[in-house]
Amino acid sequence: MTDEDATRTYEGTGVTPLAGVGTAVWYDPGAESALGDPPDPADVDPAAERDRFDDARERAREELEGERERTAERVGEDEAAVFDAHVQFVDDPQIADGVEDAVADGLPAEHAVRRAFEGPIEQFAGMEGKMAERADDLRDVRDRLIRLLTGGDRVDLAMLPEGTVLLAERLTPSDTAQLDPERVVGFATAAGGRTSHAAIFARSLGIPAVVGVGGRLTEIEADADVLVDGDEGIVVVDPPADRRERAAAGRDAEIREDPVATVGGKSIEVAANVGTLAELDGAIRQGADGIGLFRTEFLFLDRAGPPDEAEQLEVYAEALDAFPEGRVVVRTLDVGGDKPIPYIEQPEAENPFLGERGIRRSLGPDAELFETQLRALLRAAAGGDGRLSVMFPMIATVPELEAALETVESVAGALESEGLEYAMPELGVMIETPSAAFLAGELAERVDFLSIGTNDLAQYVMAAAREDDRVAELHDPLEPAVLRAIARTVEVGHAGDAWVGMCGEMAGDPAVTELLVGLGLDELSMSAVTIPEVKATVAETETTAAEDLAGRAIEASTKDEVRNHINETNT
Amino acid sequence: MERTVTVVPEDGLHARPAAKFVETANEYDADVRVAPTDGDPVDATSMLAVSSLGVASGDDVRILAEGDEAEAALDALEDLLSTPETEA
Repeated sequence: MTDEDATRTYEGTGVTPLAGVGTAVWYDPGAESALGDPPDPADVDPAAERDRFDDARERAREELEGERERTAERVGEDEAAVFDAHVQFVDDPQIADGVEDAVADGLPAEHAVRRAFEGPIEQFAGMEGKMAERADDLRDVRDRLIRLLTGGDRVDLAMLPEGTVLLAERLTPSDTAQLDPERVVGFATAAGGRTSHAAIFARSLGIPAVVGVGGRLTEIEADADVLVDGDEGIVVVDPPADRRERAAAGRDAEIREDPVATVGGKSIEVAANVGTLAELDGAIRQGADGIGLFRTEFLFLDRAGPPDEAEQLEVYAEALDAFPEGRVVVRTLDVGGDKPIPYIEQPEAENPFLGERGIRRSLGPDAELFETQLRALLRAAAGGDGRLSVMFPMIATVPELEAALETVESVAGALESEGLEYAMPELGVMIETPSAAFLAGELAERVDFLSIGTNDLAQYVMAAAREDDRVAELHDPLEPAVLRAIARTVEVGHAGDAWVGMCGEMAGDPAVTELLVGLGLDELSMSAVTIPEVKATVAETETTAAEDLAGRAIEASTKDEVRNHINETNT
Repeated sequence: MERTVTVVPEDGLHARPAAKFVETANEYDADVRVAPTDGDPVDATSMLAVSSLGVASGDDVRILAEGDEAEAALDALEDLLSTPETEA
């Protein structure tokens, strides 16, 4: 990066694979609670202040109730529950006592509120994890009460001008609940991480967002022309024209709830990649036909021991119930490499990406976890709505697949003898190693489907690590070698009577949708937010033109040639 | 009267479980307090006080109640703390 770039580009954590460009609006709710010095106690009437405080509490409850409803509707019940806690902080007897004491000391209600919250906020802010989040909730409640008391105009985040890029130190749940994706084309915050409320809301509402930019964010002046790229995790001031166009193009697609087909009538299943239960609502809202990649790692992370069968069963059933008409493809535990789990012993590997990961662990040291997971999956397949599919990650040989299938059989036998209800799900293989692509025909004969994971496939075909910027140029699914691996997988997969899908990042890039349709993919699975645009592109695609494009692309010798073919077709 | 209960909900007494606990404590005509086994009791109707206890799943807590509906309050709160969190 050159120095000049550094002055215009700000890095943070991208939370949605979407970009948006618009006009910067600074949101500084802290300014509302910056109260001046209190007046002389002799000028304060404690009885009147008590009434003002009671009145502010009443209005705060009303506001919170409205925000709770709106959030439940737009994001989900889990996120809405945070407002229940806020109501209780508003009603908290300890806060009320604090305010009463301060009013008795001659402070007006707004200063009394500030004093009553001071201690508790400090106390929670000093704690770790979830407790520290309580401090944010308390600040949120305090600022709400002070705003109501001082008659400060509420910055109505629901009524921002169209084309706003919102910039803020942090966004509270109450703030984010108000954001209207029709008006806010993106937001960036100095604080916050991938799992903050703001990030979860952004994913659910399909708003481009970058969080955790740090203090430098304040260098961006209001009214600046700003691009927020939630995919790359950057905020760019005065973005170049080509980036601007690409960002603007992605925001027009309407949401289609029904499955789509090409102009030639070929149905393409457009599904969502999901990594937590909280993302299910967003997937439904963006019009996903089902789940094409349900990552199960979240069940195993951040805890002292593995989840038991009952807990997993409940989670899988919930995912199935979310898509009564669609398919849910669950990937069995894919740990190793870059994904450490505290209670799973993983020896240091010289080359973790080429080491014991995915199915290699499930057939080895994690065999017990694998069996428990399969038990839960087979039992989930029997109950609830929806169709369950199970796929194995990192398969490199036929015997590995056969061992995995034998485990499924033996788990089914055990459930049978225990008299437990179960059903056999569709079974499939993730194609992400070059060997799996070469063996796709043999694999397809043994399973129902193949799903191409382009991120790892490109990494292994090109021998270029995904995380290494110095070889980023090589790590591109449009490299002819990667494209040919994909084309071959589809062809021999179909010959083996398997359906073939794709669940890597490439699947969610509308610029290559036509090419993928032409290559014959039956299903595309992606981050929920890109679904509307990909569905729109599928619906506009001419099957024969797409096949023609695919034919030329796999004949190309360089990725630039591939790009030229794509650009010619798109114009 | 007083009871000791093991906390089952996965989130302990944070956020949603704490909110439910406080809500329930408020429903009864009783003076209800809650304490970690090795600590002092706090007002069970205060979200602030309850969540500041930092009670995790698997911890024991003492619930103390006095008043007309003390027993009913203890029953309801014990029930709440011994049930894994269900959908609201």
